[in-house]
Amino acid sequence: MRNQSKYLLLITILLAIYYLVCGIYLNHLGYFSQEAMFYVEKSKIVVDGLGNRLKVMGLTAPIIPFYTSFLFSFSKYTAMIAPIIASSLCTAILFFMIGSALLKRAKDDFYLLVLLIIFLFHPGILYAACSGKSIALVLVFFFMFFFNLLKFYRSNTTFHVSIASISLVLLIFCDYKFIWLTLFFIPLVLSITVKSLNLGEQESIFRLFISFNNPSLRRKLINKTFALYIILFVLPLACIICYKLLNLTHAQDLNYFSESPYATWTVLADKLSFDQLSTSTVYQIPETSILISARILLFCPLILVAIYMFRNSTYQILTLLTPFAFVEFLHIKYEKVFLVNEYYMIFLVLALLCIFYKAQTIKNQTLLKTIVGLLTLVQLYTGYIFLKNSSITEERNFITVLLNRTPDTHQDQNRELADYINHLPDGSHVLVDDAIAFPIVTFSKDIRKLTLPYQGAYLSAIESPDKYDDYVLLATPKNEVTGFTQLNDKYVPVVKKANSALKLHRVYETDDWILYKVFD
Amino acid sequence: MSIPELLVNDGFISWQDREKINDLSAKTGQSFIKIALSFGYISRKNYDRSLSNAGYVFREIRELAYDPEVIAKTELKFADQHLALPLRIENGKVITVMADPSNQLFIDFIRFTYDCEPEIILASDLDVTWLSHKLAGDKYVKSAVFELLNRDPASSAFITFSTGQLAFLFILLGLVTIGLVVSFKNTSIIINILISTFFLVAILFKLFLALTGSRFELHQAVTREDLRELKEDELPIYTILLPVYKEDKLIKKLIWNLQALDYPREKLDIKLLIEEDDDKTLNAVRNLDFPAIFEVVVVPFHMPKTKPKACNYGLHFARGKYLTIYDAEDIPDTDQLKKVVSMFGKLPSNYICIQSALNYFNRNENFLTRMFTLEYSYWFDYMLPGLDTLDIPIPLGGTSNHFKLDSLVELGAWDPFNVTEDADLGLRAYAKGYKIAVVNSTTYEEANNEPINWIRQRSRWIKGYMQTYLVHMRNPVALWRKLGWKGFLGFNFFIGATPLTFLVYPFLLAIFISYLVFDLSTIRTLFPDWILFMSIFNLMVGNILMIYINMMAVFKRRYYELILFSIANPVYWLMHSISAFKGLYQLIVKPFYWEKTEHGLSKVNSPTNIVK
Repeated sequence: MRNQSKYLLLITILLAIYYLVCGIYLNHLGYFSQEAMFYVEKSKIVVDGLGNRLKVMGLTAPIIPFYTSFLFSFSKYTAMIAPIIASSLCTAILFFMIGSALLKRAKDDFYLLVLLIIFLFHPGILYAACSGKSIALVLVFFFMFFFNLLKFYRSNTTFHVSIASISLVLLIFCDYKFIWLTLFFIPLVLSITVKSLNLGEQESIFRLFISFNNPSLRRKLINKTFALYIILFVLPLACIICYKLLNLTHAQDLNYFSESPYATWTVLADKLSFDQLSTSTVYQIPETSILISARILLFCPLILVAIYMFRNSTYQILTLLTPFAFVEFLHIKYEKVFLVNEYYMIFLVLALLCIFYKAQTIKNQTLLKTIVGLLTLVQLYTGYIFLKNSSITEERNFITVLLNRTPDTHQDQNRELADYINHLPDGSHVLVDDAIAFPIVTFSKDIRKLTLPYQGAYLSAIESPDKYDDYVLLATPKNEVTGFTQLNDKYVPVVKKANSALKLHRVYETDDWILYKVFD
Repeated sequence: MSIPELLVNDGFISWQDREKINDLSAKTGQSFIKIALSFGYISRKNYDRSLSNAGYVFREIRELAYDPEVIAKTELKFADQHLALPLRIENGKVITVMADPSNQLFIDFIRFTYDCEPEIILASDLDVTWLSHKLAGDKYVKSAVFELLNRDPASSAFITFSTGQLAFLFILLGLVTIGLVVSFKNTSIIINILISTFFLVAILFKLFLALTGSRFELHQAVTREDLRELKEDELPIYTILLPVYKEDKLIKKLIWNLQALDYPREKLDIKLLIEEDDDKTLNAVRNLDFPAIFEVVVVPFHMPKTKPKACNYGLHFARGKYLTIYDAEDIPDTDQLKKVVSMFGKLPSNYICIQSALNYFNRNENFLTRMFTLEYSYWFDYMLPGLDTLDIPIPLGGTSNHFKLDSLVELGAWDPFNVTEDADLGLRAYAKGYKIAVVNSTTYEEANNEPINWIRQRSRWIKGYMQTYLVHMRNPVALWRKLGWKGFLGFNFFIGATPLTFLVYPFLLAIFISYLVFDLSTIRTLFPDWILFMSIFNLMVGNILMIYINMMAVFKRRYYELILFSIANPVYWLMHSISAFKGLYQLIVKPFYWEKTEHGLSKVNSPTNIVK
């Protein structure tokens, strides 16, 4: 066992190196995810910025991926790839966690091989590991949440339910949408409590019937259900309330962290999705409600094996079905937003967890191994297909760059513009709105050259740029997210009206940006 | 007719019991009447009745004249075993007070020792005990007070602040003052950094400990099978010390709780330690109309009048292999003693103490008892097992700590000058390389249900923690070497940090409330971004986590109705702060003063805790 753990650790280290190499290689080919660039930019502000850094420090969301990435921004050399280091290591940690759980239960090298194949070749996993996004962290906490719930079902200990609750908090702070997962646990908790009562009857519905018809049992059931709700959900709810209050006190908006493009990158990403769905003439695969679950099954057929294994227990089946309900709900709630790969990947992790948790209880191991092996290979292919045909440009780009190993040119113009700004004379100041221009800030070497919204002087600089800055960066009408900033083509007439003596001279221009020099 | 025959004839003692008493007397060296009265064979009322009917007259003996030289020739332990004491020689006779005038062995002792005939005065056993301890207990009470101080002065809290500590405190105070005068802003920022870092580490440490402790909630240190394997004949003698002071209301309850213990009666050595001036309790014992299974030991007057001094005194008369302490109102799990015996049998020899969990039987009485229950559930079910798992010194709880008696004596027993002698003893044990374990058994106590009484009790605990911290930090390097880094940090974060946290808490809360209410934006200058960030994190996450851990602990105990009360913890902590300031004041002006906690205030009927 100890030797196996050592091997697992060794494989994990090698895997982390593999992810790092891939991630850095892709980065050199020019692949950058929006999310990673956002974290790099915010880290730069926290480390080198001059102004209200507290707001950036505390209200940048999702907060845990940001801090994880921030941890690796300790030197100039790692600052640009910090999110990639974070996602690579987190994916390796996820492998280690699943591997450890596997070694403790299904003591069979075959399953370890399956796990390794998935972590080596599954395009979704590679995307989580090498893109610098928060997917890996989400998967880690998602795994911990469900793993501890399953352990709680078996042991009925407070420890596991509280660790599950803490994992849920961390999960929500990695992706706020997971708060909706709690909604589907409300009936489930009642089911868990009914199961945990000390009754002779085994069938859930009869257990419920007995519990409701006996005053003492009814009181016990209500008390226990309520207590379990509290233990499971009070921590996430309290944390969210506190976090919202912090948003209110520091940004005058309860939902600043989820609705402001200064706080989170998802606002712009969702906007792009929305535009694409509303305006695109190309017929997209309709992600209609009924098809989402079917798409999930197609993406991760292993989940069917997991469901089969847990078929004997109602509440455990309900547990497995909860993420389906959650994803369906997300699709209804955010109807004009594409479901990102992350929400498919959670099923892969859940399937692996359930299979490894229960594999040793299946008598016909040969059949099980054959099915798992075959489905794993199918999944590698479907994982590739899903990314290749994804409606999200970032995901498609990733698979293209990964397979073709050709340079990604999406950020070239931004990088060139940033280079231009880097070469401006010392002491020059550029007015930039990082709500949409964060990629340019990311590529900038000296953040102190830029006047950004987190600084007190920003609003005054917008009013009278000539007094504060030497240059102004404006978004062109072609820029897809130009509506999210004041510094766009409409800015010039407004500012000229206020100050007719102001002269602006174009010094650099790309498809999305125009850099003006300001003269008095 | 001898007294035993008289009692048998009157039907108060059966022939079989007489045989048993004689056997026990031969084994222990105690007189017949001592065993009959302290092992529950006869009640004092019946004993009085029987002797009075036979024409004996009990006399008041407390004011009788005595000759110290006569008394000096009789060893207290012998007098105590026979409930008799020679007082003086008068008219060629030794005036002797006896509870059993037919005790031939003691009469012979008088004849041989003093070469005179005794003149016997019959007195109640309690009066004889009271007088013999008062007149002949000086040697033992001096030992109880000064033994540790003489043997290991560095471990005694007799001196509260050492010179080095005073110098350190005043230099630190001076430096802070100079710093504030020279650069108020920078000094305040440094203080802020230190406090925030300290709180952050403390919160994370406590969370880690609680989670570590909660992992083992299903672990049964002693299982039912282990208990079944124990053979009653092989069980060792078990001493139980019951230090009481003015607990007259609880005596009856105490007897019921002790009788419920699942342990052979003749192998119990229960000592009720009553202070010399505590006539209330003594009379309550005298007035019992049913048999008691404890022996009364009267602790002669000597300052400081503390529980550890009483326990040290009682230790001189203890006969057991193992020893534990219960408070008068305690209801231990009935199988607790057997569990401890079984566990000691399984543990390596360097484990010298086993702590049981403490909890409250009157938890639903009012707000205070609910909060107390939340706190204890968290402390004994999560923190102590966490400390135990991580091999960090365990601050023992006030009662239900079970010792190997010889190791306890070797350690120098309790420090009578320390008002949390239990926490101090736990540390001394660790420092000497001994270990303490935690057993899966609970003692139910009475939670304090009255705020002033609660503050009194808590101020003593917090003062004791300060004393213990000061005693052991006289030489931090030596302590580091003895405890190792884990033990040292654990000690600092547990014993040291607890009073400090409560002292600082109201100030931090006041700053926060002022900031909110008066919008004191200038405070921001003293909280640079990182510090403010850390402070907000501590305030939010710290409070949430501490509340959550409390919830976990009562969830584990299945006290579901208490879960929401955890939210009131910040208010409860304010009460701790009041106590902490009271404790600090007392530490300076009267460090050895024992704030007595009133027991028996609860109106909750406490059923005996029979383990099913």
